[in-house]
Amino acid sequence: MSDPVIFSILLGVLLVMLAAGLWVALSLMALALVALVFFANAPQGLVLATTLWGNSHSWTLAALPLFILMGEILLRSRLSNDMFSGLAPWLGRVPGRLLHVNVLGCAIFAAVSGSSAATAATIGRMSVPELEARGYPQSLILGTLAGSATLGLLIPPSIILIVYGVATEQSIARLFVAGILPGLMLVAMFAGYVGLRALMSPTIIPDEGVHYTVRQKLAASRRLIPVMLLIIGVMGSIYTGVASPTDAAAVGVVLAVGLAFASGGFGWRDLLAALMSATRTSCMIAFILMGAAFLAISMGFTGIPRNLAAWIGTMELSPYALLAVLTVFFIVLGCFLDGISVVVLTTSIILPMVQAVGIDTLWFGIYLVLVVEMSQITPPVGFNLFVIQGLTGIDILRVARAALPFFGLLLLGVLLITMFPAIVTVLPNAMG
Amino acid sequence: ETWNMPVPYGDTTFHTVNIREFAADVATATDGALEIEVHSAGSLFPHPEIKGAVRSRQVPIGEFLLSRLSNEDAAYGIDSQPFLATSYEDAKKLWDAQKPVITELMAEEDLMPLFSVPWPAQGLYTNGEIATVDDLSGLRFRAYNAALEQFAQLAKAAPVQVEAPDIAQAFSTGQVEAMMTSPSTGANSKAWDYVNTYTAVDAWLPKNIVVVNKKMFDRLPEDVQAAVLDAAAAAETRGWDMSAAEADEKKAEMEANGMAIVAPSDDLMNGLKAIGATMMDDWKTSASEAGQKILTDYEAK
Amino acid sequence: MRRGLDLLYLAGGVAAAAAIALICLVVTAQVGLNILARIGGPGYSYTIPSYADFAGFLLAAASFLALAPTLRSGVHIRVNLLTSRLPDRATWALELLVLGVGAALSGYACFYAINLTWESWDFGDMSTGMVAIPLWIPQLAMDAGLALLTIALLDTLLESLRAGHAIIADAGEA
Ligand code: NA
Ligand code: NA
Repeated sequence: MSDPVIFSILLGVLLVMLAAGLWVALSLMALALVALVFFANAPQGLVLATTLWGNSHSWTLAALPLFILMGEILLRSRLSNDMFSGLAPWLGRVPGRLLHVNVLGCAIFAAVSGSSAATAATIGRMSVPELEARGYPQSLILGTLAGSATLGLLIPPSIILIVYGVATEQSIARLFVAGILPGLMLVAMFAGYVGLRALMSPTIIPDEGVHYTVRQKLAASRRLIPVMLLIIGVMGSIYTGVASPTDAAAVGVVLAVGLAFASGGFGWRDLLAALMSATRTSCMIAFILMGAAFLAISMGFTGIPRNLAAWIGTMELSPYALLAVLTVFFIVLGCFLDGISVVVLTTSIILPMVQAVGIDTLWFGIYLVLVVEMSQITPPVGFNLFVIQGLTGIDILRVARAALPFFGLLLLGVLLITMFPAIVTVLPNAMG
Repeated sequence: ETWNMPVPYGDTTFHTVNIREFAADVATATDGALEIEVHSAGSLFPHPEIKGAVRSRQVPIGEFLLSRLSNEDAAYGIDSQPFLATSYEDAKKLWDAQKPVITELMAEEDLMPLFSVPWPAQGLYTNGEIATVDDLSGLRFRAYNAALEQFAQLAKAAPVQVEAPDIAQAFSTGQVEAMMTSPSTGANSKAWDYVNTYTAVDAWLPKNIVVVNKKMFDRLPEDVQAAVLDAAAAAETRGWDMSAAEADEKKAEMEANGMAIVAPSDDLMNGLKAIGATMMDDWKTSASEAGQKILTDYEAK
Repeated sequence: MRRGLDLLYLAGGVAAAAAIALICLVVTAQVGLNILARIGGPGYSYTIPSYADFAGFLLAAASFLALAPTLRSGVHIRVNLLTSRLPDRATWALELLVLGVGAALSGYACFYAINLTWESWDFGDMSTGMVAIPLWIPQLAMDAGLALLTIALLDTLLESLRAGHAIIADAGEA
């Protein structure tokens, strides 16, 4: 059987299982088992156990439940409500108003966390209920959240850049620096899109009440102080070197607990409820991550992604044509493998091709992140979609539709960095 | 037949380059009867799981860092004892003494060593020159295993645990001020972004090892077995040469990017060797009889 | 029986939550020590040995032990776009099928996880950090969590069979 046929069969099997209502993590595992049994020669049961274990105890993943816990604590305390009330007067005249909290909140959080799932879970836990209560349109709430949370991967620190840097032996510090400008560019594009939508149909954005005087604005801003202290504390712990980026998640929890108690209305019961809820959410994400890892390994055994990538190599394309084909390739694979797996499974084949046509490997790393960001919001396997379904109960297909414009914006971002590669390279080159 | 082979390091690492050549040699020598598909950068199994995967025949062959197993038996970790074997010549002698012992240990797990290749010797990365051991005192020193933590303490430095991906950030934020690693790792992570001095103290030469599952190896036709062993022997010789070339190349690369490549002073080396000797005494108490034998064999050569 | 099983799931959830709280404590303690070293100077440098390993193992324990309670509270994600549009009896039949397949998969994973743990114990596999931890100890949490998930899926299957309709309500508004 040829690889495209096998690929189509597997995709069909996955869609049937998902449609029947089998849990996502179990669907991924079952699909991987099917692939191993029929298209590879590996003892699938042993490989399953090794993968479950090998992908469950990593240190960098330990930050995930802690960041989720931080979000749960903020939600249950006054802090999250205070933040929105404090920001409302300032954003009252900006088209899109409090929807920008999703974009900017994700961008700020992205500077602390390296994962888009943690970004979506933490910011979304606070912003979704708050924005819904204020009457913002659901599709824009979900879309901005799903789209902006992908910034967790691009704005440093970033798990995917670490994986790419280690696999290709590049300076992770330089990759991080290279992600800064494209990250800011995307923030501007996302915020611009929100503003544009609001200007086009002003009635969909709720009025945040009367117009405030500067004095009133400043008075309301007092309520932002606790959240500011939290952000400063977490970032400060990283940039003074007393905490690694993973450690910083624990600093965030401790500060959030302290501030929640200090601001009143938060007790031990709330803390316990936050802990239990965070435990379930992070379990849900970890289980899907394990399923995705098992699927990725089964793909490694079958060799399908490798063969597809090698097939692209035989086309002998020009740089721009190669990038166009690769973008389509990554979008297709990204629909049902998670982004990090796509990078891990294909860099061995793709990087030499990319180097052969003279594309800068540092630039290519950032390009990859953008493409992987897209895979986070494409169904059926997109982590931000899962996290947001977990937060809201809204089906991933509906979340994916809400996120579609942001998929388009990411694609536009890819086009922009391809036309103007300096957006990526100017900062790292300045490092000498 | 096709064998899947997980390896932990990326495609450009000389270990992986060497292993790909080994795979090509096997395919040529057996006329395609045995093809080895190399899965680099932990893309099939993460580094910690590779040994177990070979043992339980999920894959027939794999590579890992030998001293990772030192908690299972001290004999595995002798190549990472500071200042025991500091040149390629001594490292080779140590490997000759170590090989029979670990071959026997691994046989209990159905594993058979094929070949082992060292990383370039570990040097000291700091900002500013280190003239004596006293200069290390009080520095925040990256320690990622028990031996390095003990080393840091004996040097009166402050051990700090930093995981590999966090190194650059840890230096730029002052979380660590000194580390010991090979010129390969230093050059690849562009160490000049965050430190200015490399002192070639050549503390030890840690080795990667390629192992095959004994049962799966025995199942191969005899001529294929012979071809694998021949290719392995060639890979070991080639790998040691590549390692030596890599050491010079990467030091030159660091120098070209503005780092000072410093030969250690006699004072510094004497101090470091004293620390190494103290650590060796501890190692002896934790080693099995077979482990002790490695040392006596090594010292006899 | 019902109360016993519910207590079992609760115990898994509480143990998982405790593991996450412990990760937070261990990491915070290390950050505290880092701050102490910055203020007090090198004489006050302490590290919690292998704290990254401990955090990783605790994370694994939390992830596996919470599987069953997470299932029962409907937090595990699945796509219900199709099933929610089918007639009740068809939804019910699919739910039974999915629970059966899930239980089989989970039981299969559990069997091999136990196998892996047994091997780790048999061969004396150790963690690689400063503190040598026999790997079978943290792996036991994986076995227990998968066993608990298998029980929960079977339990839910029987309950749904008796009730005549799906009983796991997916969290949120659906
Ligand atoms: Na980030
Ligand atoms: Na996707």
